[in-house]
Amino acid sequence: MRAWAVLVFLFLFAPILVILIYSFNEGRLLVSWDHFGFGSFAAIVTKPAIRDAVVVSLQTGIISAVLATVLGTMAGVALARRAGRWVPWFLGLLVLVTVTPEIVDAVALLPWLVFLGQDLGLGIFDNGIARLVVGHSLFSTAVVTYIVRSRLIGLDESLEEAAADLYAPPLRRFTQITLPLVMPAVLAGGLLAFTLSLDNTIVAAFIQVSGSTPWPVYVLSAVRTGLRPEIAAVSTIMLVLTLGAIALVAVVLRRSGDSATDIAKTMGGA
Amino acid sequence: MTTQLEAIGAAALQSEPPSAASAPGRDWKRLPRAILAFPAWAWLIAFFLAPVGMVIWFSFGYKPGMFGTHANDVLSLDRYAEALSPTFFATFQNTLWVGVTGTLIILAISVPFAYWLALKAPMRHRGILLAMVMIPFWTNFLIRTIGWQIILAPEGFFSQVLQTLGITDGPLEIMFTRTAVLIGVVYNYLPLMVLPLFVAFDRVTLSLREASKDLGAGRWSTFLHITLPLAKPGLIVGVLLVYIPLMGDYITATVLGGAKGNMAGQMVANQFQTAQNWALGSAMAVVLILTILGTAALAGLIAWLGTWPMRARRRLVLGVEK
Repeated sequence: MRAWAVLVFLFLFAPILVILIYSFNEGRLLVSWDHFGFGSFAAIVTKPAIRDAVVVSLQTGIISAVLATVLGTMAGVALARRAGRWVPWFLGLLVLVTVTPEIVDAVALLPWLVFLGQDLGLGIFDNGIARLVVGHSLFSTAVVTYIVRSRLIGLDESLEEAAADLYAPPLRRFTQITLPLVMPAVLAGGLLAFTLSLDNTIVAAFIQVSGSTPWPVYVLSAVRTGLRPEIAAVSTIMLVLTLGAIALVAVVLRRSGDSATDIAKTMGGA
Repeated sequence: MTTQLEAIGAAALQSEPPSAASAPGRDWKRLPRAILAFPAWAWLIAFFLAPVGMVIWFSFGYKPGMFGTHANDVLSLDRYAEALSPTFFATFQNTLWVGVTGTLIILAISVPFAYWLALKAPMRHRGILLAMVMIPFWTNFLIRTIGWQIILAPEGFFSQVLQTLGITDGPLEIMFTRTAVLIGVVYNYLPLMVLPLFVAFDRVTLSLREASKDLGAGRWSTFLHITLPLAKPGLIVGVLLVYIPLMGDYITATVLGGAKGNMAGQMVANQFQTAQNWALGSAMAVVLILTILGTAALAGLIAWLGTWPMRARRRLVLGVEK
């Protein structure tokens, strides 16, 4: 069993290690190793297309994560605390969002955004970032809602009731009691939404506007035309940054008293 | 009265004691909080339900001439017939094969792995180990897949190692085959199965398994009759989390499968991007969703029927009437 676990970990890390190593490839093509060097990292600076793509991805990631977190947290709180006849319908909609493959979202959003932007004249839907934010926020909103709801359902409502009995107005009760209680779930959901957005390739490839190509779409087009080591170099930098961000969130969560297993579970969305 | 009944119903849905929600005078609290869900409602209706509804509407139309993408003045089911014609049907079959085989392999890898992680791994390392499972999950999907392209390349390092060890005669000829696609999808979706399974196994407390052991059950018996049934919710979540995106994925197949790794998602994308036949593409998209829902329901039914004898026996042994 232990041997099996070691094998699984090897399997999980193999391609990541390969990318890490190959980001120091000095050859012309990523796939064929030439010799060791830092050329690919230097090349990033001189190629504005790469930098622009990463910036677009980060911008989209942050905006769509904030949006999905706000929408999802509110919906999750409503689902857990004030259920009504709307709940099955809303859960049904969420399930539908979750089970619909990305490619369907993609082909559906493209004509829809064109319709909103061109026919209805809503200029914002012609903006590249806005389009990507819309596309990336759908699945994440559902995910954040699930995470927040499951966290809150596991928590006793007595604190909120006590606040109500002490005449705290609804808004204050929400910001001072409910929100701090769900904070780990909100953070985990936000982080998940951010990475989901950074990863999003299919929807982004369809709805992107030229001039604001996100990073994965840039990589995808490079897969078709020829992969250069710079791509691995950017991935290495992004991996280091992501790991840093995760470590930061883990530290915050640990401060708030969760055990390591709980943190991992919250981050995994369970 | 009605509102009270509603409140009780709502409380039952949340599986909480009804006392809190049904207490009189608390109803005023409900209004502002239900409104909290409104922005998410509006957002998902505007950018999910409406566009997907439009695609379903397109699927009943046709492609008018060379330059049009869709028209709906004559409605028919002809696009569905076209989407299921032999050429396209083969792709749906291939997608289903990759989806089902991939999910089964992932299941076979992750059940023992998650079991070890949740119940056997040293307690103080569990958090770290779990985080390690998630690292690939936090690395860009496309980049991970490109990593496999490097590993599986015929002139690559792995291929040379296999040749030196004498495991294969010639260079590795996996790239751009269905096997490569399978390796790619198994890799890409594995963490999505491990995490819910871990949580599920984690809930099975030691005392229950010890009780089973004390009552004379062997290791396998305990696993099959205690641990696995208790982990069932996680198992179902994991299968759905893996199977659904896997069926829609075509990026892995594009990177690792080349032309042979044709998936239904690619076919839908082609109709929209290259062939400019939105009506046919929409019908294919609808068929894809229906395939996913249909096979998931079928799998659920088979699992339910398959475990029925076991459940019936257990009820008999314990004498529990339900």
